[in-house]
Amino acid sequence: MTEANLARDAWLELRRNPKFLVSGVLILLIVVIAIAPQRFTSILPYDCSLSEHFLGRPSPGHPFGFDTLGCDYYTRVLYGARTSVSIGLLTVIGATLIAAVGGSISGYYGGVIDTVVTRVTDVWFAIPTILGGIVLLSALRRRGIGEVALVLTALGWPAMLRLMRSAVLSAAQADYVNAARALGAGDLRIMRRHILPNAIAPVVVYATIFVGIAISAEAALTFLGIGLQPPAISWGLQLEAAEDRLLTAPHLLLFPGLFLSATIFSFILMGDALRDAFDPKLR
Amino acid sequence: MRRYAGRRLLQLVPVFFGATFLIYAMMFALPGDPIRALFGERPIPESAVSILRERYHLDDPLPVQYGKYISGVLRGDLGEDFRGREVAQIVAERFPVTLRLTGIAFVFELVLGLLAGLVAALRRGSFLDSLVLVSTTAVISIPVFVLGYTAQLVVGVELGWLPVAGIRDGWPSYVLPGMVLGATSLAYVARLVRASLAENLRADYIRTATAKGLSRRRVVGRHALRNSLIPVVTFLGTDLGTLMGGAIITEGVFNVPGIGRAIFDAVGQQENPVVVGIVTLLVIAFMVSSLIVDLCYALLDPRIRYD
Amino acid sequence: MRHKGHRVGVVLVAVALAVSACGGGQRSGEGAPLAQGGEFSVFICEPRGLTPGNANQSCSSEVLTALFSQLVEYDTANTENPVLMGEDAPRGHAASITSRDQQTWTITLKDGWTFHDGTPVTAQSYVDAWNYGAYAQNNASFFANIEGFVGLQCGRGAAGELDCDASPPISERMSGLRAADERTIEVRLSAPFSQFPLTLGYAAFYPLPEAFYADPEAFNTAPIGDGPFKMDGTWIHNQSVRVTRYTGYAGKPANAAAVNFQIYASIETAFTDLRAGNLDIIDRTPRAQIPTAAERLDGRFAEFPGSGWTYLGFPTYDPRFADPNLRKAFSMAIDREALTRTVKPDSVPADSFVSPVVSGYREGACGEWCEFNPDRARQLFEQAGGWQGELVLWFNSDGDHATWMEAIGNQLRQHLGIQDIRFEPLLFAELLDRERDKGINGPFRSAWAMDYPSPQNYLQPVFGTGGSSNYTYYSNPAFDAALQQGNAAGTISDGLDFYHQAEDLLIQDMPAIPLFFDVWATSWSERVDNVFVDPFEHVNKADIVVK
Repeated sequence: MTEANLARDAWLELRRNPKFLVSGVLILLIVVIAIAPQRFTSILPYDCSLSEHFLGRPSPGHPFGFDTLGCDYYTRVLYGARTSVSIGLLTVIGATLIAAVGGSISGYYGGVIDTVVTRVTDVWFAIPTILGGIVLLSALRRRGIGEVALVLTALGWPAMLRLMRSAVLSAAQADYVNAARALGAGDLRIMRRHILPNAIAPVVVYATIFVGIAISAEAALTFLGIGLQPPAISWGLQLEAAEDRLLTAPHLLLFPGLFLSATIFSFILMGDALRDAFDPKLR
Repeated sequence: MRRYAGRRLLQLVPVFFGATFLIYAMMFALPGDPIRALFGERPIPESAVSILRERYHLDDPLPVQYGKYISGVLRGDLGEDFRGREVAQIVAERFPVTLRLTGIAFVFELVLGLLAGLVAALRRGSFLDSLVLVSTTAVISIPVFVLGYTAQLVVGVELGWLPVAGIRDGWPSYVLPGMVLGATSLAYVARLVRASLAENLRADYIRTATAKGLSRRRVVGRHALRNSLIPVVTFLGTDLGTLMGGAIITEGVFNVPGIGRAIFDAVGQQENPVVVGIVTLLVIAFMVSSLIVDLCYALLDPRIRYD
Repeated sequence: MRHKGHRVGVVLVAVALAVSACGGGQRSGEGAPLAQGGEFSVFICEPRGLTPGNANQSCSSEVLTALFSQLVEYDTANTENPVLMGEDAPRGHAASITSRDQQTWTITLKDGWTFHDGTPVTAQSYVDAWNYGAYAQNNASFFANIEGFVGLQCGRGAAGELDCDASPPISERMSGLRAADERTIEVRLSAPFSQFPLTLGYAAFYPLPEAFYADPEAFNTAPIGDGPFKMDGTWIHNQSVRVTRYTGYAGKPANAAAVNFQIYASIETAFTDLRAGNLDIIDRTPRAQIPTAAERLDGRFAEFPGSGWTYLGFPTYDPRFADPNLRKAFSMAIDREALTRTVKPDSVPADSFVSPVVSGYREGACGEWCEFNPDRARQLFEQAGGWQGELVLWFNSDGDHATWMEAIGNQLRQHLGIQDIRFEPLLFAELLDRERDKGINGPFRSAWAMDYPSPQNYLQPVFGTGGSSNYTYYSNPAFDAALQQGNAAGTISDGLDFYHQAEDLLIQDMPAIPLFFDVWATSWSERVDNVFVDPFEHVNKADIVVK
């Protein structure tokens, strides 16, 4: 019964929180755009005319103007949402899975397993993200959405696992866990019914924020030239192209920059809202 | 305390070997032949290639290569790059630059972050609080390179207040890139201080202190702040490592010849010794700083010591 | 009379005082008062090295051309004789270069030239330097023509035979090279080569002082050359290299008193620095800035022709690309003019396989095959059977090629209807490996910059059978024969007819599509004048005037 109360309380709290409402709407909008960009634009992203529309300014029918290849920028920015959101979600799902499994086992069983897992986590944690990203991505010949998400997962799971592990550690101390064990409940059942639901809250909060971080990291790595490659459509690539033309064609920077920042912002805000809801001390 | 410190130090050893081996292995997996690339489009005399491959142990299996390398490192020899320059030399030239850059970023984020977080926590729920919250979130959301180029153009070129690129002007040239580098971390620090301080201000002992008649300033400054700084110290410790790694973008934008840029160029040229050498040092720096953080943590919070 | 003379005397004394005040101070080192002429700064990227034998990169050679003198100078506008020496070359060290059979050459040096450390530049300085360069250095291939070169590359096998995988090499000196006396070098080539004098301007052929052999590492950070400028201090990695005027120079002296080479990791940052007044010359204006540079800089911008040439090669060993009509269709579907107007403004469309800076270039040689004509392209494409499946476009990811390659992909999609297009951007090292292993399965971007201004240098290494940079693996005996004839011709200009024949064969077969010729988009500050960048991408540092 404990888990239902926490979730229900959180939901009631969230419903009234403006942060949640604003970020919720934004995220919904972005996800819809990511899933079905065709609903928002009838132009195809590769339908470009270099000779006619190179760096064209915003005009009727083309609200965001054109980019360096003469492609309709509005279409390209919308399709870029799909790439960024996919990478963000894939990364976080992957990292959370690893963190959930590893963190639970490590935190619950303790002992040698815990030491080993902690050491391995420390080793990966010691490698700075951008650095590790550069080295790992340079080794990959083809860098599509899957590959980039994989690399970001590989760099992101240590932080998540640590979080999960400490949450599990504190949840495992609770009296009701001891009681359950005394009553003869198996380890798996205890983990599933008692520990996980209570430990998951901080992880969910961080995971939400981590979507934003992952999207930002992909943009940075792509900007450095080591992330996604053309002909992929990504905000990172669009920003990379925009950098030398800040004064001559500011619309190149403005639109993907806005969308990227807004997307990251909405996930972080959502994370904030969730943290407010889950943490009783901040009420 | 000494036992705690000793134990932590011992834990660093396997992490050190693990991390450096991981990096070395990743570089080893890079495709292409770096020696041939040195000659560019020209035909290559075979004698030169075999001499160079011999010199850099490129034909040995991975564990052997790593073994030779790490034994060199422990003797203080970080190897040479493919042009014969000692990696240690490269590091010696570049590290101080990055250190200065990181230093400025650090001071910037510490001072302003603390201030902003303090203000926000003390005026909880007010306009100022919301302003700090929204602006820090916005700063975190804007990618570093966007921030960097915009700052460079607006402040450096158009307004001409600060040097634009390079480090020729001494300390002033580090200001702008330092601020850009520290901006995101500043936002994190501010939020952390705000959350932590707000939480502590509601604690019982604060209520007691206020009830006992202590002035607001004493309550906040002496009690609440000190306890609130614990998560901040933790963050700052790990942030040092992040800053040095993340300086790559900032160093590129502002043409600061530090190690971040060195790594990026070395990866492109597949200069394994340079990459591994610099990353090894960064890993050490990171581990040392987290060790210091843990020790400070233990000092600040007496509950931890008896772990 | 005496009265007037007295006044004149006063004026003369005053002038003398003024002049000596301006021109005082011959001390070297930073912060010392400069000799007359002023100082300016030039953009460079971080050099790989500053030893002539190893410097095959523009960052290195920009510095080395200030520190060293060439044997010959070039006048590429002159089709009869583009090579200058003797009195026609005030900064060239060769007095004359003669040969009777195009195989044995005699190079006579001018008198009185010295290195920056005061030692004389003799024929032996050249001979020793060339032997050193031929022995396992990056630029060794330049000496490949010289008899005895093979001995420096190959060792002895088990049975005493020549084995080019064996080490150590048989010899350290080329048998065909010797110093007949203090001022005469004798070179015997392994085969007649009419273009030989043309090759001598390259950095590989610089002389080296005795001091080099004593400590090559120190030399690499502070080279001692024989050019109009000498080192001031050492090379400060990733920051700068500073040189000052060499007062003992026997050639035409430099105008400026000092040059500061500022090293940048990114051209964007360098250009921003120029606009902020911290850099004087950059010969690589960022593409995005080129359209507005002239206006923004009040006309202090120019596009100097470069010798570089970019092409899209076909792997002729892949049967799908065997039909020349298919290759020509690709060529005509590409709108070079639109590309150079928009995403690649640091070039002009290529209309031949040979660069315009070279005597022997024929304008429009490629004809209709290099002109944008989507209808005709479509026609030829269908005639050749079209294209099925995935088309992969290859290029190196560590250049700035992604955007315009993507644009070409879009053009092929738009005009030929090829929908399934993918890109394969690899690190330069890896792309080179694949090219050498015949592992490319689609059109690949490649480029060539001349070592010396001859059409032969554009044709033989890139398209000749067994050429050192022939990655299309094009092999045509008629083409090779024409090149041989050109090489054996009596004079440089006689050779040109044969080279034209060879180029015509290329145009018919089109194993590669000529895309662009480089231009050096150069911007400079208000402080300098008389800026010029030669086709080798060398700024004319010795002739620049500081205002």
